[in-house]
Amino acid sequence: MTNAALHVARTGLDAQQERMQVIANNIANVNTTGFKRDRANFETLAYQYITAPGATSSGDDKYTQGTSLGGGVKLAGTSRSDVQGSINQTGNALDLAVQGSGFFQIQQPDGTIAYTRDGNFSVSAEGQIVTQDGRPLIPNIQVPDGATNITIGADGTVSATTAGTTASTQLGKIQLASFVNPTGLKAEGDNMLTETDSSGTPQLGDPGTDGRGTVAQGALEASNVDVTQELVDMIETQRAYEVNSKMIKATDEMLQFANQNM
Amino acid sequence: MDQLIYTSLSAMRALMQKQVVTANNLANVNTVGFRGDMTNSEAVYLTNGGDGVSARAQASDSKDSADMGVAANVTTGRDLDVAMNGDTLLAVQATDGTEAYTRRGDLQVADSGLLVTGDGLPVMGEGGSPITLPPVDSIRVDNTGVLWIVPQGGDPTQPQQIEHLKLVSAKGSKISKSDDGLFHVAQGGSLPSDPNGRLTSGALEGSNVNVTKTLTDMIDASRAWETQVKMLAGAKEMDTSTAQLMDMSGQ
Repeated sequence: MTNAALHVARTGLDAQQERMQVIANNIANVNTTGFKRDRANFETLAYQYITAPGATSSGDDKYTQGTSLGGGVKLAGTSRSDVQGSINQTGNALDLAVQGSGFFQIQQPDGTIAYTRDGNFSVSAEGQIVTQDGRPLIPNIQVPDGATNITIGADGTVSATTAGTTASTQLGKIQLASFVNPTGLKAEGDNMLTETDSSGTPQLGDPGTDGRGTVAQGALEASNVDVTQELVDMIETQRAYEVNSKMIKATDEMLQFANQNM
Repeated sequence: MDQLIYTSLSAMRALMQKQVVTANNLANVNTVGFRGDMTNSEAVYLTNGGDGVSARAQASDSKDSADMGVAANVTTGRDLDVAMNGDTLLAVQATDGTEAYTRRGDLQVADSGLLVTGDGLPVMGEGGSPITLPPVDSIRVDNTGVLWIVPQGGDPTQPQQIEHLKLVSAKGSKISKSDDGLFHVAQGGSLPSDPNGRLTSGALEGSNVNVTKTLTDMIDASRAWETQVKMLAGAKEMDTSTAQLMDMSGQ
């Protein structure tokens, strides 16, 4: 036997559980460099009509209101908040933070390009500027052996003093990618985002142009998770879960009563 | 058997429908801009024609309407979150292409630049067609629904006005919630744009479901259901005793 009220309440439990997972992930990443919080969006499920508004009731009269039973709720999607995280000074020459909307381009092991706000870079054994996972920054910047005093300007210019000289040499220039709809980028794990049909294609350019933002050396962008906000959302979700489980219990008791007494 | 059971049955059907509506309200307690559904059953008197006694009334299927009460706003600080004030509604394009109305104000920019609500429906401009945005550095909605943008690479101190969200008021017109969960004009057609429509930007309106009231409705329906079950049990008992009384074999 199926009972609509039980299934409607179940959609409520499912949706709140999914929201809890989004909140748990935000809280888990509170200290992840460049992490952007997600928000769960709900939408109503289709209504089931018993009488449609405007249907004829008798003669020329029409129902001004219909009889409709809502089907419950579902998670419509999650939207990433692109709000800037705070910039924390680290003093490390290869720690970079973007102040603006741009993304660093990173070469993935499979040859494709992914995008990140995590500017926690190092120099690899081969002299390349790479992420913590050893994935190279694009465009490729080669740091010569024995280079010291690496400086990275707000416009992305990388220079260093090479061994045996006192003058600074320009090694290359970091470019940033921007997107029409950055919220449409797909989160891939490892702090990486990839292009989708919804994000649009990347617009490459120098830091500081067209709102891409400037590069700050010796700093990292913190996550934009606001712990207080997450805790409030968590309580709200928990309470919503509770009322939906009460609904299941009440409906079950109705059916139980009917079964025992009829 | 006495026809009383059909009266109780009609009541039980109406009560279970009420329970579904209540369950749906509770399920949507965190849905942005959700408007709770209300049920109201009415008595349908059964007459036996002419001068008969109209002793019986069955409960009709409930006629539903939406609770248009305003819900609390939550400040989000996000530029594209808007909370409609008073009885203002935002015009969107429903999936069947018609104009529909919502209180949902978590706006997003889709890949094509189309301005959509959190559930993906295109938002209408004052001219009555969906709004498409050019690539922007920043975007802001003021409290009259005007969209101000700084185009990509533009001067942040010189925002440009590009569109006006279509805000309407249902005052004087009958609107009702359709099976897509959106408000439509009951007899078809669309509402005119309301120059007095106001919104608060950087905030979202929550669901207007009052949890305490809804839980009370739930208990109310459960207990009324039990009463009807008791009526059925009573009818069964009466029927059994009548049958016993008329039983000639037992003496």
